[in-house]
Amino acid sequence: MSRDQILAAIQISLNANRPQLLAEAARVTHEPPPFVLPAQDDLAGQFVAEVQKLEGKAYRVATAEEALAIIEQLIIETQARQVIGWDVDQIELPGLAALLAAHGVTPAIADIRGEARQARLQELEPIPICLSGVELAIAESGTLLLRHGPGRPRLASLLSPCHIAIVFERQLVRGLGEALTILLKRYGEEIFGPTSNLTFITGPSRTADIEMTLSLGIHGPPQLHVILVAEG
Amino acid sequence: MTQTIAFYDRVDQALHDTSLQTALNRATTRFIGNRASAIGALCEADRLRDQARAIRAYALAHLDELLPQLAANVEARGGHVCWASDGEEARRYIIELARARGVRSIVKSKSMASEEIHLNEALEHAGFEVVETDLGEYIIQLAGETPSHIIAPAIHKTREQVSALFEQHLGMPPTTEVPPMIRTARRALRQRFLRADMGISGVNFGVADSGAIVIVENEGNARLSTTVPRIHVAIMGIERIVARLADLGVMLQVLARSATGQKMSVYTSLISGPARPGEADGPEEFHLVLLDNGRSRMLGGQYAEALLCIRCGACLNACPVYQAIGGHAYGGVYSGPIGAILTPLLQPDLPDAYLLPQASSLCGACQEVCPVRIAIPDMLLRHRADAVQAGKAHPLEKAAIRGYTLTMTHPAIYRASGKAARLFSRILARKGRFRRLPPPLHLWTKQRDFPAPPPKTFRELWAEHQKRRHQNEV
Repeated sequence: MSRDQILAAIQISLNANRPQLLAEAARVTHEPPPFVLPAQDDLAGQFVAEVQKLEGKAYRVATAEEALAIIEQLIIETQARQVIGWDVDQIELPGLAALLAAHGVTPAIADIRGEARQARLQELEPIPICLSGVELAIAESGTLLLRHGPGRPRLASLLSPCHIAIVFERQLVRGLGEALTILLKRYGEEIFGPTSNLTFITGPSRTADIEMTLSLGIHGPPQLHVILVAEG
Repeated sequence: MTQTIAFYDRVDQALHDTSLQTALNRATTRFIGNRASAIGALCEADRLRDQARAIRAYALAHLDELLPQLAANVEARGGHVCWASDGEEARRYIIELARARGVRSIVKSKSMASEEIHLNEALEHAGFEVVETDLGEYIIQLAGETPSHIIAPAIHKTREQVSALFEQHLGMPPTTEVPPMIRTARRALRQRFLRADMGISGVNFGVADSGAIVIVENEGNARLSTTVPRIHVAIMGIERIVARLADLGVMLQVLARSATGQKMSVYTSLISGPARPGEADGPEEFHLVLLDNGRSRMLGGQYAEALLCIRCGACLNACPVYQAIGGHAYGGVYSGPIGAILTPLLQPDLPDAYLLPQASSLCGACQEVCPVRIAIPDMLLRHRADAVQAGKAHPLEKAAIRGYTLTMTHPAIYRASGKAARLFSRILARKGRFRRLPPPLHLWTKQRDFPAPPPKTFRELWAEHQKRRHQNEV
């Protein structure tokens, strides 16, 4: 069986080289640094600036009402009748369900399980807006961390040309190491229990594959709107 | 893909391809600058690279435990694991799986391992429709070519060439603007995703303690390939593993910075098994193919350190040889300095793979930028020694080395050859340079001049110097 063969071959190889590799491994701690860039005074300001550097749109607002006003504007601009979103209660923005209802926007059922998978995907394809919350956001790199799972579909940050992400200031951390530490503390062994997927999103989809020319939105959303809410 | 022309001819072609030269210059200059500023901005770049090296070394030292742990965790989450000793086993597993599930259409996101085992050809031969979805990979698939750069596979294509391909294959109206090309590719590929039955991806890191794989990308094609189709197959070289999820706090900090100068790539996906019962999307089936293909043997030899590689491509951009000849000239899947080490080991069937380690000036720029500090020049030298021991050295090279040894161990011959060289240069050199040398040395002067020896030898200068000193003392 290949499994046993491969493992046996690895063991023979390691008989020769394990001591050397272990010595290399022991040279320095493996503990990741909580952050890697020099400190800045204002975490929220740093996060917003990083998102903008990546050609994302970032809005810093005080209240849920202000956040709703931005979402409303985007609904009007895109003439959305449906959104592919997280369950509204998972986004935790008060008034969101009422806003969507007031504009006649219905949350699409992003459930593609079963036989109707491909037909369902074709129905979802023209929907102009994706709407999600985040688990955490990383100021140093302008990164959103999405923990997908029940009520938090992956397609809700992927399929449409416009992704709106709601971030609360309490969700901000400085660096990647810090984010991973919090995640492990929060979920421990069960981090991949009810979910199969964690995604870090750092700016809108991009490519430079044609003559190194930067272009947005080759596959994922070309527009990323990050609304950073102070309260809540 | 079998190579039909020899290494030196491929190099020659590359050096005379002006649009390739422009593209290489543009890409490598940009990548080098972006990497330097991203690494330079770090508080403790050196320490982070030491940590990255230590984490990878730990993973290799415990590979016999970590691989079974990864496999067990994937299976505990409902995924399937295939242990493939070689490309043949990996290809057979995937083809049989696709047949058993009634798959017709397959989308692929970039995977070096799948290119290493020529998976696309095998799938197409078996009757499946396979589409590469990374834009660069898609372009070269339409053109029927192979990637020229690990990070930017289609850098050798001009926008006019891309426009022509899209016109021919996708019915796009001719244009020299990039945005319409991007929109055309998005539309065409989006339908491929939605209709695909299987998505095949590579793996940047397998995380043993979580049973997760990590995929890093900028476009979103890997997310679509691993979310939309009902089956996801991930192919991973057995060495691409880390022990703990926390290790990503180091590895991801150096990977994107070294590759493109980004702080983080746009999308970093951590995937653990198929969609859970409560999840509305994601694949129904998840298969992880663990590919050995020579790696387990390599782990015990003098090239084990090359298995630390995280495929960032920094050594390619930094290498003056790569900058001049690009990826295709190397002939294998892996190009540049790391490719010159890996290709003779992982693709030994390539007839002139043993020549690749010669394609280096041993300047050390590769090791300087490597995020895990692989001693690339040392290993290139070892490969050269291996080739000589295997009797692969060119007869002229052997003769030259014998001549060199003779000259360097006999002062009289050394003196005579210095005089001969200067006589020779008086006849042939112009302005201190040889434009052309006689065979077999003409190969050197084909692409560049050779400096002529100075009018006086070191020994003569030394004698004069001693004489002057003696006179001054007197």
